[in-house]
Parts: sequence; structure tokens; C-alpha cells
Amino acid sequence: MGRRYSSAAAFSMAGALAACDGPQSALRTGGVDAAQLAQLFWVMLAGAVVLWLLVNGLFLYVTRIKTRSLSRKWAEALIIGGGIVFPTIVLGALLAYGLTMMPDQRAPGDGLRVRITGEQWWWRVEYWPEGAETPVISANELRLPAGLRSEIELTSAEVIHSFWVPGLGGKTDMFPGRPTRMSLEPTEPGSYRGQCAEFCGASHALMAMQAVVMEPAAFDAWLAKEAAPASLPEGPGRDLFFREGCGACHSLRGTEAAGAVGPDLTHLGGRSSLAAGILPMTSEALARWIFDPASIKPEAHMPAYSHLSDAELASLAGWLEQLQ
Amino acid sequence: MKTVLKTTVALAGLALLAGLAVVFLGLFNTSARNGHLPLVAPVLHTTFRNSVELRAPPPSEVPELDEARAALGARHYDTACKICHGAPGQPRSATIRAMVPQPPPIAEAVSDWAPNELGWIVREGVKMSGMPGWPSTRDDEVWALVAFLTRVPGMAAEDYARLTAPPPVEGPEGVTYCAGCHGAEGVSGNPHIPRLDILSADYIALSLRSYAEGERQSGIMAQAVSLVPEQALADYVAHFAASPAGEAPEAPADPGGGLVERGRALALATDTSRKVPACSACHGPSREARSDAPRLAGQYAPYLDRQLRLWRNGLRGGGPRANIMREAAARLTDEDIAALAAFYASSGDQTAQ
Repeated sequence: MGRRYSSAAAFSMAGALAACDGPQSALRTGGVDAAQLAQLFWVMLAGAVVLWLLVNGLFLYVTRIKTRSLSRKWAEALIIGGGIVFPTIVLGALLAYGLTMMPDQRAPGDGLRVRITGEQWWWRVEYWPEGAETPVISANELRLPAGLRSEIELTSAEVIHSFWVPGLGGKTDMFPGRPTRMSLEPTEPGSYRGQCAEFCGASHALMAMQAVVMEPAAFDAWLAKEAAPASLPEGPGRDLFFREGCGACHSLRGTEAAGAVGPDLTHLGGRSSLAAGILPMTSEALARWIFDPASIKPEAHMPAYSHLSDAELASLAGWLEQLQ
Repeated sequence: MKTVLKTTVALAGLALLAGLAVVFLGLFNTSARNGHLPLVAPVLHTTFRNSVELRAPPPSEVPELDEARAALGARHYDTACKICHGAPGQPRSATIRAMVPQPPPIAEAVSDWAPNELGWIVREGVKMSGMPGWPSTRDDEVWALVAFLTRVPGMAAEDYARLTAPPPVEGPEGVTYCAGCHGAEGVSGNPHIPRLDILSADYIALSLRSYAEGERQSGIMAQAVSLVPEQALADYVAHFAASPAGEAPEAPADPGGGLVERGRALALATDTSRKVPACSACHGPSREARSDAPRLAGQYAPYLDRQLRLWRNGLRGGGPRANIMREAAARLTDEDIAALAAFYASSGDQTAQ
């Protein structure tokens, strides 16, 4: 084996290992559902290793160690036993083991429902606490209480998307006009990354989200704050927001800005990321985004506001960042 | 066989030489004083007739040629076409009559064409005749002119004079020209001609610049702007912007079917299931329209309908925010546009809050 091959092998191994950690790993589990799936993965992997050793051991045995031919009776027993009976039993057992997990993955929730709608290319997120008549509307960020099972209702506006936060659970497709559901019971407070897992257009790869798991008390406090109307700081940014007609597409709850085409901005500055998980929530990133969204997210529906001066962009972005 | 071939080649060579001599030695007399050689005029004219008949749009594409369209067409005719074709009661000048071919007097020119054919001729022009094509890529405006042209045969001189009379205006010198179509106080009284009294100075100035630079398409307005000295534009803008918002034209009868209500839901975006931005965020009527965004409340429905279609179809520009309006209109259906036009036309008396 040449040096080139060994370094390539080492490189791909490193790549594979890197996927075992980080905010978007299915193996760094932060909840009951992901842990169950990780366990399924490890069981499958262990089984595969055993089978691989068995098959290759047998191969080595008949080609190198005992090369004489088998009697017809033994050969038939080996083919029927090893080729039909053994795989049927093993695969059947694994299937049964896997299928028993499915009801758990969509067990009914403890009260909170979160309705997520896939848009091109962002996530509309509505929180429906138990008994609520109107939702708390947010976007591009999913917050869940630790230790409680939450219902996740999924739908889509125009094309098929797929909701997947690997650190918290499995993935479920989102269809226009056909709601789907799953549930999640996170256990470890922390930050996880989700990603649209079904090709949905030019910016599919740029459709991510932050999922934040919080202690229940902290979550309740956050939700109460999120439900409050916008508190608007004074300043030129505020005038720009209304002058430029941003409210035609975006809502600031409690103001005349009530658009529902784009993400709700009532508490924009309180989110951990911008543009569906791909930019940091800073005034510089906000200014870049407003100047020309399609340069960051190809084919984004938000039009460019490149007619604004740098100073105007800066004050608008700075003001938006203050919408905590 | 060889002889035939040689003869053909020789003849072709001679023809080529003769052609080159005509072009480069100036042998063809381009003088227009004595008209065409015999037979040339009938051949050209027959070619023209058949070309129009082949290419004219089907009669079903001709919109209703109502009086209001004809009134707009008459004003445009007076400023753009009369110089060559004369008008009822107004003969062509001696110089124009010396053209080859001679532009026919208008009653004679339109007499044996159907409206769809007239529309094609007005839009495309006629090559090698001096008749120009429509100076804009928009193809819906020619019908105003056609509406006028269909009324020309038999039109009395007084009727033409009435249609094109300058209105009495108190304002800067020359603004009479604008007022001819838009009304002395910016209220045209014609649903195909926008009201200016409800618009801001910024927006009127922006529109005129857009017409002059071709960002906003209109053969009628391109012609109008090209006739006004640039330094006078600011005065005219100021005149119309300062006009008190006139009496709202009589609100059009609700065409029924809840059209106005549908338009309101769209304009204010109360129906959140539709991916249509709230028009009201920039255009009112619930809040003051931004100074460089036109106020729409009280504007004429047919004008709004036309403009929204141009935006939706990507044919309208004008101003630094044109890309935003194009995106906003991109998902409107024909029914949405009719509903929005009906809503804004009928919400005339709401003053900004």
C-alpha cells in the first residue's frame, strides 16, 4: 500500500470520525429519541461487524485452510442454512427490533405542540402551549423544554422539505397540504443544529436551524417573553423599517407591521442565528442580508434593498438586532 | 451543358457588377421629387397590404374601444401623428404632401382597415414609408389610438377640436400640454389616464425621469416627455403635486362577487394564507404612502389594473425600488389584480391616518 493511499485512508477516516461529534451529529445525542436511534445504529453496526467477520472467516477457511470439496449433503445444508434460514432469522429479528422503536418515536406529547412549516428556504415555527388559542410565532429556531415530550407538527408551503435535528431525533418529511407529525423528548440542555433533509430548491443546502434545549423553567420564561409584543427602540432604524415597507412581509407583533410572507421579526435579535442558521445574529450580517439576500441565499424571495446607503443599512440592521 | 453553365455564370457576374455600380457609382436616383417609377408604387403598396393582413393579431385581441380610450388616443394623435396625417378640419402641410410615399390624410388612411389591423400598423410602423413603429415595448397602448382612429371617418372638425382643446389652466406656462390629458388640477376624468393630484412631487418627478430614460415603458408618455423642455419639468411637477387632492372620482360600482372585499384582504394582507406582501405597507390607504411610492387610494381601476399586470409580467420598471415591486406583484393572479384595482379605486376618500 503506497503512502498516497494510506494518507487518503487516514483522511477519510478522520472525516468519518468528525461526524461523530459536533452540533449536527446523530451520535452526540441530546434526547430520548436520538439515543434510541443511536442505540439502533450501534446494534446494527455491531451485528454487521460480526457478520462481516463470519463471512470473511468462512471465505478464508474454504479458500486457504480446508480447500477440499464438500459432500453434496453438506453443501446443500450450507446454502439453505447459511443463505436462506440464517439471514431470514437475523434480518427478521433486526426488523422486529427496529419496528418496536417506531411507536416510541412518535409517542404523544406532554402538552406543548410546535407546528413547523417548511418555506423556501426557512422555517416558520409556531408554539402552541397546552390550551393555547393562538400560537406564539417565531422562525428559524426551535426551542424545547428538557425532560418533556413535545409534539412536532410538520407541514410545508410549496415544495417537499424534511425536518431533521440529528442530535434530537429522526427525520420526518414535510409535504404541502399533508400534515405529518413526530414527537421529541430532549434531555440534555444545549444547542443542536438541524438541516432540511429533502432537496427543496436552489438554497436547500442553506436551510438549517438552531434547536435549543432548555430547562423547563427557563423555557417557560423564554416562551412568555417570546409571546410578548415587540418593544421597539426609538431611532432612525425604526423609521427606516416602516418607510421601506418591511411590514408588508414581516410582522412586528403589536405594530402595524403584520406581514406574513416572511419570518416574524418580533424578537429577531433574540435568535441565535440569521437566515435559517447560516449567518450569525450580528448587525453586520443583518446589513449584508438586507443589502442583497440572493447573494447569500440563491433565489431567496426577499428582494435586494441595495438602494439603501451604508449608513441606512447599518442603522436598520443595528435596530433590528435590538429586537430582543 | 458546359455552354449553358458558362453563360449563366457570365450573366450572374454582369448582374453583380451592375448592382455594385448602382450602389457605389450612385447610378440610382434617390430624388423624391418625381415619385416612384411606374409599377413600383402599386407593388410596394400591395406588399404592405398583404404583410399587414398576414401579421395582424386576431380581432379577439382587440379590447373594448370605448370613448375614454378614444379620448386618450385623440390627445396622443394630436401630439404625435397629426403632423403627417393631418386631422379632421386640419389639412396636411405642403411639405408633408411632398413626401414619397405621401402620408394619406387620416380619414383615408384608416378607411379600409379593421381595428386589429390598425393596431398592428400603429404598433409596428411601415418600413420605407416614414411611418414609425410605436416608441415603446409595451403593446397595450396602441388600442387607445385605434379607438380614436375608428371614429375618424366622418368626424367633424369641431368634434376633433373639442377632443383636443387645451383646457384652461392656472399654472406655469406650458403645463396646459400635460393638463390636456391629466386635467387642469391633475384629475383626468378618464379611467385610462392616472390622477396626479393624489401623487407626491417626488413620485411624479421619478415617473417622468423613468419615462424619459426608458426604465418605465409607455409610448404615450415617452412622446409627451420628449416634447417638454427638461428645465420646465420641475415646475409642472410642482403644479400637479400642489393641486389639492380633488374630489374623488365617483367610486366605481362594486363589480360584485365580493371583489372589493377580496382586494381589501389582499392589500392589507389580512388573509395570511396568501404569499402576497401587504400593499398597504408602502401605498396606504391605512397609513400615509411613502413619498416615492404612489398613493393608490382613489386612483382609477383600469389604470391600476394595467400597471399591476405590467409589474407582474416583469414589463414595468422605474425607480430604485422597482425590483421590490416586481417581487411583490410576482404571485398575483388576474383575479387578484382586478380585486386590488377595485379596492383601491373604491377607497378614495380615506385620508391617511
